[in-house]
Amino acid sequence: MEHGGILVNRTIMLPTSVDEAVEALAATPGAVPVAGATDLMEAVNAGRLRPAALIGLGRITELRGWRYEDGGTAVLGAGLTHARMDRPDFAALIPALADAARTAGPPQVRNVGTLGGNIATAAPTGDTLPVLAALEATATLARAGSVREVPISHLLTGLDPLRPGELLTWVRVPLLHAPQVFLKAGGRSGPARATASVALVLDPARRAVRCAVGAAAPVPLRPLEAEAWVAGCIDWDARGEEGAALIDPAALAAFGEYVAGACVPDTGLPGEGPGSAAARLRRTVSVLARRALGRALK
Amino acid sequence: MTSATELPAAAPAEPSEPFGLGSSPLRTDALPKALGIYPYAADLWAEGLLWGAMLRSPHPHARIVSVDTSAALAVPGVHAVVTAADLPPGPDGTPDGAPAGPIVADRPVLAADVVRHHGEPIAAVAADHPDTARLAAASIVVEYELLEPVTDPEAAFNAPPIHPDGNLLRHLPLRTGDPEATGEIVVEGLYQVGRQDPAPIGAEAGLAVPRPDGGVELHLSTTDPHGDRDRTAACLGLEPDRVRLVVTGVPGATSDREDLSFQVSLALLALRTGRPVKMTLTREESFQAHTSRHPALLRYRHHADAEGKLVKVEAQILLDGGAYADVSAEALAAAVAFSAGPYVCPNVFVDAWAVRTNNPPSGRMRGEGALQACFAHESQMDQLAARIGVDPMEIRRRNAMATGDPLPTGQAVTCPAPVDALLDALTESPLPALPVDDPEADWLLPGGPGGAGDPAAVRRGIGYAVGMVHMLGAEGEDEVSTATVRVSGDHATVICAAVDSGQGFATLARQIVQTVLGVSEVYIAPVDSDQSEAGPSARGRHTWVSGGAVERAALMVRHQMLQPIAADFGMSVELLTIADGKISSYDGVLGMPVSEALEGRELWATAQCRPHPTEPLDENGQGDAFVSIAFCAMRAVVDVDIELGAVRVVDVTVAQDVGRALNPRQIEDRIEAAVAQGVGLALLEDLRTEGGLLVNPSLTGYRLPTALDTPDIRIASLVEERDVVATFGAKAVSAVPAVVAPAAVAAAVRAATGLPVGRLPIQPEDAAVA
Repeated sequence: MEHGGILVNRTIMLPTSVDEAVEALAATPGAVPVAGATDLMEAVNAGRLRPAALIGLGRITELRGWRYEDGGTAVLGAGLTHARMDRPDFAALIPALADAARTAGPPQVRNVGTLGGNIATAAPTGDTLPVLAALEATATLARAGSVREVPISHLLTGLDPLRPGELLTWVRVPLLHAPQVFLKAGGRSGPARATASVALVLDPARRAVRCAVGAAAPVPLRPLEAEAWVAGCIDWDARGEEGAALIDPAALAAFGEYVAGACVPDTGLPGEGPGSAAARLRRTVSVLARRALGRALK
Repeated sequence: MTSATELPAAAPAEPSEPFGLGSSPLRTDALPKALGIYPYAADLWAEGLLWGAMLRSPHPHARIVSVDTSAALAVPGVHAVVTAADLPPGPDGTPDGAPAGPIVADRPVLAADVVRHHGEPIAAVAADHPDTARLAAASIVVEYELLEPVTDPEAAFNAPPIHPDGNLLRHLPLRTGDPEATGEIVVEGLYQVGRQDPAPIGAEAGLAVPRPDGGVELHLSTTDPHGDRDRTAACLGLEPDRVRLVVTGVPGATSDREDLSFQVSLALLALRTGRPVKMTLTREESFQAHTSRHPALLRYRHHADAEGKLVKVEAQILLDGGAYADVSAEALAAAVAFSAGPYVCPNVFVDAWAVRTNNPPSGRMRGEGALQACFAHESQMDQLAARIGVDPMEIRRRNAMATGDPLPTGQAVTCPAPVDALLDALTESPLPALPVDDPEADWLLPGGPGGAGDPAAVRRGIGYAVGMVHMLGAEGEDEVSTATVRVSGDHATVICAAVDSGQGFATLARQIVQTVLGVSEVYIAPVDSDQSEAGPSARGRHTWVSGGAVERAALMVRHQMLQPIAADFGMSVELLTIADGKISSYDGVLGMPVSEALEGRELWATAQCRPHPTEPLDENGQGDAFVSIAFCAMRAVVDVDIELGAVRVVDVTVAQDVGRALNPRQIEDRIEAAVAQGVGLALLEDLRTEGGLLVNPSLTGYRLPTALDTPDIRIASLVEERDVVATFGAKAVSAVPAVVAPAAVAAAVRAATGLPVGRLPIQPEDAAVA
């Protein structure tokens, strides 16, 4: 803590537009943007974070909704709350994201916690993150005078991190008009942090399956080889036909194993035997991936 | 002893509001708590108050080389910093701060030379702002010499002593019958119980106000005002009457409230600064400060004959007492005495130990000791049933204890032991619908809404358990409570220092006075330590001891009131009744309002209730150590996703021995609360440690059951067989469902998966079929 005075004279700014917000961010180094504050205030209360200034994003109404672009993309405001994403109109648009938002915590948290906050906090257990990774969503990062577009996965892995003065404003998600599934294993029936989660989306136009595993690693993992392999096992032409088997059940199970093996590698180290934490996680991921694909193809 | 005297039938035929015993008036604090306007201790305020904060050990075991508080004192706004050096030395001059503890005085208020668990307090600070106090506490420089923590209770026996009192808190052997006896069927098991925390809704908070006479007044949500007053005064070197505890804002407690370090430090800061000091613990500190349930390791061997009749029970029980003794000795006695469960067994051989480790201290929590044993003996009974091929209910019936049967301690169970009736009630209770019959339940698959549950992988299991727990203090503890009843005008007042910790004592006291005196308006005075002593709120003892004291005081007032009237009319007091605020004679000739009979006087009476004494268990675990025992039988129905190991408890049906239902609705509430807590222990709640360090001291990491995790809880029967020695024949109801529920859930998971399930809480890997 600072010498002399214990309490920092903190500033709170409440911009009403993205432009005002990025200007405030540029003008106040060390300022922290805050939306729902469900993660941020926990850190502040625990003394892990003492922001010099806060930029409240709650009044930027344009970021609290979404719009369409080019007919094939939804542009989601970073201020979209989990509760809003869970509503039927949004669920019809991006079902997996709605499912993830629904499980993201108790109602009090979902009412204020935002999509942008989930990405910025980048917790390994962030529920929307594997969905965004599977959807290959991109983030719009605005700073005074410039805007750039970064894949969410690059942002999360640190390949292309948020730079000083940048504000996460929009998230672009392709509209696939095909089944999507988000499955989460948590510790209880009530809201809980994920022990593992799987997001899986079908992209029939490209005859592709995209899958991401959450909570198994610090960032969502994509089992690219498993995706490519299983896309070849699916009878894409049978889609929509009554009672058609789209995939051999054995392939479903193999896909589960494939995903689990890719995302929770068997290191062969001692302590990695059956019954170890890694083996249990592998098993959970395998079941989730198998069920997710099974439901998507049902 | 309170006799089972018939009380005057005072209740009006059609009471407009619930009135008297047997009715179900609402708790007076229910609405404020539900509406969020109830003042908790953290809401206390005094003009000019300072804020307290504590410095806690980041290590589970370390020698304190030096403590330098100068940096903290130099922080502007800091008014006082106290350490063990500011406390008078302990009785034998120990350099360890002032030792204190509920039973054994082995726990320093502030650590001086050694810290023995993660979060042990070392210093306390008072400052003009809570942030200042916390930052100042953090700036205290403590030099530690790290010591190897003893975290495995099995290793504690041979580890270097953690404490001058040694690592063995108690060894209690129990030997009864023929050690050579053997049965045709032998089943063995190893059982493990994790660390459940009371995780109270309100974290510890309080306000200390210095008094002009050099004493201090503490406003806290204590559940043992006199015990805490005496210990606090002793630690401060003050006469007990210089310390006053005012009970405020009790949030509902399933364990002892408040910890001594907290309240002594608070009082010391107020005395040192001469100003009111308020302190509220963070959730993390709260997990560190209060005691939790004893983790246990139990090894059992049951011998039975071919019909499944128990021949011999052998057990080894190890309780992890954590760093300090607290009530470990008492918990161990319950574990040993109830080690064979509510069954008759002629030969019982148990060795039980409570040991000291560098883990968080264990203490009182609903059914301490009895719960751990119940999980083990019920798991054993299920194994026996499976081995001889009978229904789990049948094996229990064949061995069920009845009134008059002996406990393994040699004590005859003289109170009602309606185990058979409980089992019958469960058998007759219908099972819940299967999910296929209830499409609405689709979203209630294991794993919860949005979870990954797959109906094809879900198996249903049904499990049974029966358990028992003692009421009142055991092994010679002096059980006594005092209450005063006052009648004036048309209302009565009860003054009794029994804290309503959620068990409903305040409501019960009101009902008792209504029944005895016929007045409907009964006020329960707020509790403070200037009142007569009523003892701690634990084991549901207040229903008996304080309820008994209130009844007697009310009867004395009644006698005083009716005596002159009876004399005037030349009839005995027994021929007069009081109802609806009116006194009437048996023949209806006389009718007089109570207020007229009082003639503007106030009538007061004070009475005590002291149940018959108990004796300590001897070197063979024999003795009449308990006063009375409550029984409960439970059926749990679970759905298990056998691939993911996710468990959902669908339904818990309870049959309970309540003696007499004094407030049926409150009993149902208490059973529901206890079952929820038991389900939490069975599946979720575990305060984990790694190398003695707490891993999950937050309500995110420590998973409490939510509404979605709590099953439908149904009461098959409240068996009312009056306990003739107990007040109104009633038994304590809150603890025994918590004792039985974990065992019932484990049995159901076993039935669903076919897996052994030897530990609580049940982890997904224990319920996933490979």
